[in-house]
Amino acid sequence: MPKIKLWIFLIFVNLSFAQQSDFSHIDFSKADNIAKTVKSKRLYELHKLTYSLTKNLNTDIEKFRAIYIWICNNIANDFGLYSLNEKKRKRFLKDSVKLKKWNSKFKKKLFKKLLKKKRTICTGYAYLLKEMSAIVGIKSKMINGIGRTSSVDLSGLAMPNHTWNAVKLNDKWYLCDPTWATGISFPEEGTFKFMYNEGYFLTEPKLFFLNHFPLEKKYTLLDEKTTSFKGFTEAPLLYGDAYTVLKRHIFPEKMHHNLNKNDTFSFKYQLIKKTIPNKVKLVIDSGTLERTIQPKVDIQNEYLTVQHTFKTKGFFDVHLYIEKKLIATYTFNIEN
Amino acid sequence: MKTLKKVSIRKSTLIFLSFLFALVCTTNLKAQEIQVKGIVKGQTFEKIEILKGANIFLKGTKIGTSSNKKGEFNFPQKLNVGDVLEISYLGFLKKRVTIKKSSSFIKITLQEDDNQMLGALNSGKRHKTKRQKE
Repeated sequence: MPKIKLWIFLIFVNLSFAQQSDFSHIDFSKADNIAKTVKSKRLYELHKLTYSLTKNLNTDIEKFRAIYIWICNNIANDFGLYSLNEKKRKRFLKDSVKLKKWNSKFKKKLFKKLLKKKRTICTGYAYLLKEMSAIVGIKSKMINGIGRTSSVDLSGLAMPNHTWNAVKLNDKWYLCDPTWATGISFPEEGTFKFMYNEGYFLTEPKLFFLNHFPLEKKYTLLDEKTTSFKGFTEAPLLYGDAYTVLKRHIFPEKMHHNLNKNDTFSFKYQLIKKTIPNKVKLVIDSGTLERTIQPKVDIQNEYLTVQHTFKTKGFFDVHLYIEKKLIATYTFNIEN
Repeated sequence: MKTLKKVSIRKSTLIFLSFLFALVCTTNLKAQEIQVKGIVKGQTFEKIEILKGANIFLKGTKIGTSSNKKGEFNFPQKLNVGDVLEISYLGFLKKRVTIKKSSSFIKITLQEDDNQMLGALNSGKRHKTKRQKE
């Protein structure tokens, strides 16, 4: 009986709350601790691993959390696999048979490495999360699409480059990105560092969409009218840390802006946690010269407004930093 | 006469019931008898190969096992006719197998799914607009 009551309670809570705070009443520390203590050198017995992660947890959300955190703490990004796949996919871009053949061969290699060495690329993370969730009866989906980062050239991108997950909890779909939550890649050195980012777990769909364009549009979890590909490519560039600091990116909707000298521009955000004005900085890069400024800042509860007046003409990259974290980049062309 | 008839009815009911009881018992016994072993393979674009670490589950339960390096498994619990096993492996389509009387050794070949393998790096590197040299 108490279990039923809890479920009824949860369903009510779900109906009345917004997406990312749906589970704010649940303390994840138990699930997170289990994820930290469970070890598995190889992944040949996924069901055993999954049960040891979930057997002492009662709710689906906690079970899913333990699986997700375990993956993020244990599965490394494999840079070698990534660049090999990238190279071949580019080469076979116009030859569908060869691409299919490559994909099949690569898939085998990828899963062998995942099960034996716990290293993979995006799709491997998504498969693993889906498979382990299915073992405990939680429905999830792999979402293929375009992942936008500072190193992705959207104009030259002809096909999807990223995979993430949608998960159904208490009859409602949520979004998460286990790959990007796991850590940071250093392409120049060809290395990877585990560095968990909490922001990609059941992210607010509007924020998530700024870096994730799904091939199947319904998995934006947003109204279709607001999710055009053009809108996606023109949106501001957000970094990983934006997800740990922002709840919503309210304004501007575009990355690039044409203004006149002495025009004032406002940026608006909703924050996860309130901050103080002198922790908000803009770095303005003219291409040859970079300066850090303290912009005019207004903070009302968790709403942050940042203002800047452009006094010289030129082309500028404007980077927003909050608490020393790089949040977003915008570009401005200022004319006389 | 009357009493005799009564007795005979009782007797036949009794026989019928015991027959029914015996039938239920034997079918039950028979149903529990199947110890399912098997082998899991995967059909890829070019060939069929053994799958190590495939998941084999009794549908709707937590009872399951994994295939070993030869692709073989021995299901941890005896199964009934009509039980459904779900077999899955990363990158392949899930398959369901209904247990029959003859299912003591089952060969399963999973079909590769057509999902593309992708990966985008998140380096967190700051954007810098490429400017034309003047």
